[in-house]
Amino acid sequence: MKRLKSALRQGVWPWLCAGSVALSLLMLGALLALLLTRGLGHFWPATLDEVTLANGDIVAGEAVRELPLPDQAGNERLYFIGNRDIDDVRWRWVALDSIAQRTQPATLLRLERRTWGDFIGYLEAVDVNGQRITGQDAWQQVKQALRLPTLQRAQYQLTLRTPQGQTLRQSLATVLSAEAPNAMSVGQKVQTWGNGIWQFLSQGPRAANTQGGVWPAIFGTMLMVILMSVMVTPFGVLAAIYLNEIAHQGPLTRLVRIGVHNLAGVPSIVYGVFGLGVFVYGIGGSLDEWFFDEALPSPTFGTGGLLWASLTLALLTLPVVIVATEEGLARIPEAQREGAVALGATRLEMITRVVLPMTMPAMLTGVILAVARAAGEVAPLMLVGVAKLAPQMPLDGEFPYLHLERKFMHLGYHLFDTAFHGEDVQAAIPLVYATALLLVLLVLVLNLTAILLRHHLRRQRGSEC
Amino acid sequence: MTRNRLTSQPFRHLQDRIATGLITAGGMGVLLAVLGIGVFLVWEAMPLLLSGNTNALTRLSPLAWGTLKAALMALLFALPLALGAAFYSGFFMSRQLHSRIKPTLEMMEAIPGVVIGFIAGLIFAPWVERHLASTLVLLIWLPLSMGLAGLLWHLASRRWQRRLPLSWAALWLIPWLIAMFMVALWLTPLVEQAWWGGDLRQRLYLWFGLDYVTRNALIVGLAMGFAVIPSIYSLAEDALTEVPRSLMEGAQALGASRWQAAMKVALPAAWPGLFSATMIGAGRAVGETMIVLLASSNTALLSASPFEGMRTMAAAIAIELPEASAGGTPYRMLVLAALVLFLFTFLVNTLAEVVRQRLRRRYHRIGGAS
Repeated sequence: MKRLKSALRQGVWPWLCAGSVALSLLMLGALLALLLTRGLGHFWPATLDEVTLANGDIVAGEAVRELPLPDQAGNERLYFIGNRDIDDVRWRWVALDSIAQRTQPATLLRLERRTWGDFIGYLEAVDVNGQRITGQDAWQQVKQALRLPTLQRAQYQLTLRTPQGQTLRQSLATVLSAEAPNAMSVGQKVQTWGNGIWQFLSQGPRAANTQGGVWPAIFGTMLMVILMSVMVTPFGVLAAIYLNEIAHQGPLTRLVRIGVHNLAGVPSIVYGVFGLGVFVYGIGGSLDEWFFDEALPSPTFGTGGLLWASLTLALLTLPVVIVATEEGLARIPEAQREGAVALGATRLEMITRVVLPMTMPAMLTGVILAVARAAGEVAPLMLVGVAKLAPQMPLDGEFPYLHLERKFMHLGYHLFDTAFHGEDVQAAIPLVYATALLLVLLVLVLNLTAILLRHHLRRQRGSEC
Repeated sequence: MTRNRLTSQPFRHLQDRIATGLITAGGMGVLLAVLGIGVFLVWEAMPLLLSGNTNALTRLSPLAWGTLKAALMALLFALPLALGAAFYSGFFMSRQLHSRIKPTLEMMEAIPGVVIGFIAGLIFAPWVERHLASTLVLLIWLPLSMGLAGLLWHLASRRWQRRLPLSWAALWLIPWLIAMFMVALWLTPLVEQAWWGGDLRQRLYLWFGLDYVTRNALIVGLAMGFAVIPSIYSLAEDALTEVPRSLMEGAQALGASRWQAAMKVALPAAWPGLFSATMIGAGRAVGETMIVLLASSNTALLSASPFEGMRTMAAAIAIELPEASAGGTPYRMLVLAALVLFLFTFLVNTLAEVVRQRLRRRYHRIGGAS
């Protein structure tokens, strides 16, 4: 009792404060863990169930999740059953109480098809050159044939049977991949998993962004970020040198400096409005009138595009670069500058030979931070040139190779669009998780690089001074 | 050698002068371009303001309300957490832990808004809808359980106190919080069943006439709170650790406990810094677009209920501006919304910056001796 009293007197507030750190860490950890497990787990070949219900129905598919039944006791389970061409639904909820039997047959297949999405069922036979192969040999034949180029695959005709007993014929040319996950060993599963991740990173989206990969979005993001850093680095450094080395250090400069610092806090959507009004409608509209009037009224530069998006983001990240470079400039001891000038260097020589090499790491930090910010920014892009599905890449073999006026795809916007405007959000969510994971990893790695660089720089400077 | 120097000397000076001129012109140009954003927004919104069209202003008011509501909900959640975390890592955390935790929490700031919005809108919101009672209970239960951990610690034997010191509590409280989370999830449905006969959502409707929308202000508040915690935390922590050590040491030498010293000495000295951190957090919350877009229902409502959605100015700009034709009234209205956002964040940030600079000068004066 005495101890409790003393405990109450000393207070529990420090523990509440400690708890808030713990809670923040917990939320961050939970977010990352969720993204990692769901994002990477999607590519793991899932076991397929075949379930016989009490009323005689047969359902075969991948168990996705379980939820409590509304208004009753017990749970229900969501199955992905595929076969949209046959019964027009891809999902089915099954109450656990109604399940009579649950098996996992080794011959149950999952085919990824070019149209109609996945097929889940059995392989009856393969017809090739008038020959009919059935049974286990047929599956071996299909596995071998899938390595052939698409054109040669057309001579293979598959006879498939759905779990409910319907048969259908399918040309192998329209099948992208086939697997029998229940019969796979762990090694094979790991291999399939790796393949899945590689395809996600290297292929374009299919089936209204619910399948396939995100390569065009990765490419678009990278291209935009590179263009942006090409624009932002020289101007940002120029402005920082002017502010720190050349401008008279009076109240006006101080005011400008505060202004620039504060622009970093202005919401990104405001930059988007500026980009739309000035770059797209203003400059782009005038460019169209002067050079592309044969194409009017359909706009060339007068609509959102790669150039305007990277310019807008360059403007958005300019304060980041200026602030980081200025910080680096301010850390250089005055003696270095005085020494250079005393030895007869002009101001230009002092800046290019002494000051700039010493600020290099700070500049680099600024640019990396700018790139990290730009890669994660979506709101302004929605106004100045991002597309949900760009038919043409902005970089191709056609003159002038880099098409600055084209719309492009962006990882963040791809995520937003698939998650919110997709027709079958349920089917898209695993890919959205994977995209989100990719985006977060990209941004975190960039930030980590900047932090390490800054740390390194500070330690180096510390030993010098 | 001599000849070479003689010929190159004027050339070098000329080069220097030209380069200086170019840098000046370039620097000024960049600064003007950056500061030109404000000018552009005012220019484009001016016709609307001058025309005296009050219709546009009435259309803006639900958006302004939505913005305020979202920002307030976010701050309500983020402020206690961020300030508590700042106090803890400023005064209680071990140095070793501090050098790891601070960068980690600051990395939180880098997570793109679109990812947070996706998790909040598509994963978290349906979960909360199913576990509404548990979520509300958790909001109270988790802080209580932190205090409970403190009480238990005081009651524990010396050996345990040494094994689980306060300076490492940020780490060992994590499993405790997970356990408490589980307990709440397990107990609440039972209690809900016994007291309210099951569905809290129906009860809310019957008692208070509250509609429940899946993506609502509560979700936005939690998600956006998560996003602004790091910026508030980082600035507040800086303000607290910059309090001159001599002040804290003086208070502790006179017999104050560390918490008393933090509250009675550091807090009054650093409160302008904490205030400016809050302002910057508010600025971020007001302008955040993607989280609101994804995690709220985006309907322009004038309702104070935390279980209904809202549409903020930033979200309205993102949704409507691509469809508005340049120069039309809707276009100008959205530009006006952007101008309001710009002015608000710019003023708030300037205020915060000025307060911070003053504070630094004050610290310099008081702590000059140390």
